[in-house]
Amino acid sequence: MNEMSKPPVPGIGITAKYPEVGTGPVDTAIYHDPAIYEKEMAAIFRRSWFMIGRVEQVAQPGDFFTFYMPTFRQEVLVCRDRNGEVRAFHNVCTHRGNVVEHRREGHSNGLFTCRFHGWSFDLQGNLKGLRDEEGFFGLDKTCLGLKPIPMGLWQGFIWVCPEDEPHQSLEEFLGDQGRDTAGYPWGACTQFYQTEAEVACNWKLVNDSPAEVYHIPVLHPNSAAPTMMASGNVMGRLLDVEVRGNHRTNSHYSVMGEPKPVQKLAYYHAAAAQNVVRDDLEYEMPVGINATRSPFWTVDLIMFFPTLAFTLSAGMYTAHQVWPLGPNKSIYHQRVFVRPATTAAERFGQENTMVEYRDIVMEDFSTLERIQRALDSGQIREFHYHDHEFALRHQHHVVSQTLAAYDREQAGEI
Amino acid sequence: MAGAMAGVMAPVLPEAFADLERFVPEWVQPDAEHRMAKRLSTDMAAIKDFYAAMLDRGEAVLAWLRGYALGELPPEGENLLRLMLMLAEVAPAVEWYDNQRVYDGFPVERLRYLHQISDTAAQV
Repeated sequence: MNEMSKPPVPGIGITAKYPEVGTGPVDTAIYHDPAIYEKEMAAIFRRSWFMIGRVEQVAQPGDFFTFYMPTFRQEVLVCRDRNGEVRAFHNVCTHRGNVVEHRREGHSNGLFTCRFHGWSFDLQGNLKGLRDEEGFFGLDKTCLGLKPIPMGLWQGFIWVCPEDEPHQSLEEFLGDQGRDTAGYPWGACTQFYQTEAEVACNWKLVNDSPAEVYHIPVLHPNSAAPTMMASGNVMGRLLDVEVRGNHRTNSHYSVMGEPKPVQKLAYYHAAAAQNVVRDDLEYEMPVGINATRSPFWTVDLIMFFPTLAFTLSAGMYTAHQVWPLGPNKSIYHQRVFVRPATTAAERFGQENTMVEYRDIVMEDFSTLERIQRALDSGQIREFHYHDHEFALRHQHHVVSQTLAAYDREQAGEI
Repeated sequence: MAGAMAGVMAPVLPEAFADLERFVPEWVQPDAEHRMAKRLSTDMAAIKDFYAAMLDRGEAVLAWLRGYALGELPPEGENLLRLMLMLAEVAPAVEWYDNQRVYDGFPVERLRYLHQISDTAAQV
């Protein structure tokens, strides 16, 4: 047995690092109260930035994709123009409001043409053609281009803000979390699966689902637990939680256990980019990832409050994103990003990664609508968090603090 | 069999894997969404039969697939790869749940696939 086989089990003490967050039970009202939800929309969501895709999706001039942001009922069109710039517009024809591009992704010959009356716009959003122009009354075509939506890039991710005048810049929004996780090879994982589901629960429950691993030995006894909880970490403790403003990162402790037979094929014979410790990295790990520099690190859950969490290992990552629709209704988006397969065998490794992650999330999600039912009916009014459920406590703290500050702002106190 | 009339029959699988041909009609599916549906709609005895046969040949299949760049597989090689992708899909049903479904899970059919990785197209 080598030294790695007897790692120290993490202790208790995460919550104590952040005394301002407290240790008591928390009120569950923010998980179901419609008035609180409405306030969250104004105080949190309309002031945030939202990741809607990656630059690789518009690799060449003319490439485009569309994305519907269900929370804001806004449809976005992203493309790359002839100068190589990524552009984002409200996907709304300035004539009568239909979408100018109805497809989810594709390549444009240089014009987006509305399928309603045929108005067409170029890759920079300029109105280029309108049919039977003489029938209109003094239109100024220069004012009828597609309306840009505030857009910014971070590490190849495309972010937009639902407000015409963002409350904060993308850089301010990303803060230390963005700074400290930049430099990871985000763009190396060019291949992705993307799925979505409507879930009858509050947006915070979707965030909570991967944000603690206290549940892993119990909820994932045959899937994640045998490989992630090997080595005596039977309570499923984290290495650490590091708060960065409203954002936070959980560092997951684990040592590779004995893989199942098909996992062995994927890991050992198909270069599956699994959650395994690697010492052959071709890049320098940013300071914000595996911040404790533990040799027993496998995965970070990198949360960009309020709606986006990456589960990230040395070789691949997933994006777990929630779009609120109401106090007890959300859309969940899952993206699994993997490195490109060179040989045909590696394609099998990618599939194994996607299926494993998908099924484990389905295990997690079994709880969401059941918890929401108990919240809506008043059957549970307080949550009692374990030390290693600190991320949930921190989220509750951030939401409560943000809403309180918003109240003071509305009252003219700040 | 189809193709016999033409005198030359395109192989269904690479010659070395002819023993797996019986699985091709049902278990070669066009994409991940169809593979998930196939898993959900197949009884466990049939899933275990497929799983056991594929697992037994898994290392040999992957060694063969390693000889090809993705995107350059002959048609019979694409069938072989798609059988392996199906093995990845059914593995949790056999190894984790002893059931097609995630045990006590969120219904996986409520997931909509918005973007998939091509089974066979080149990625680099």
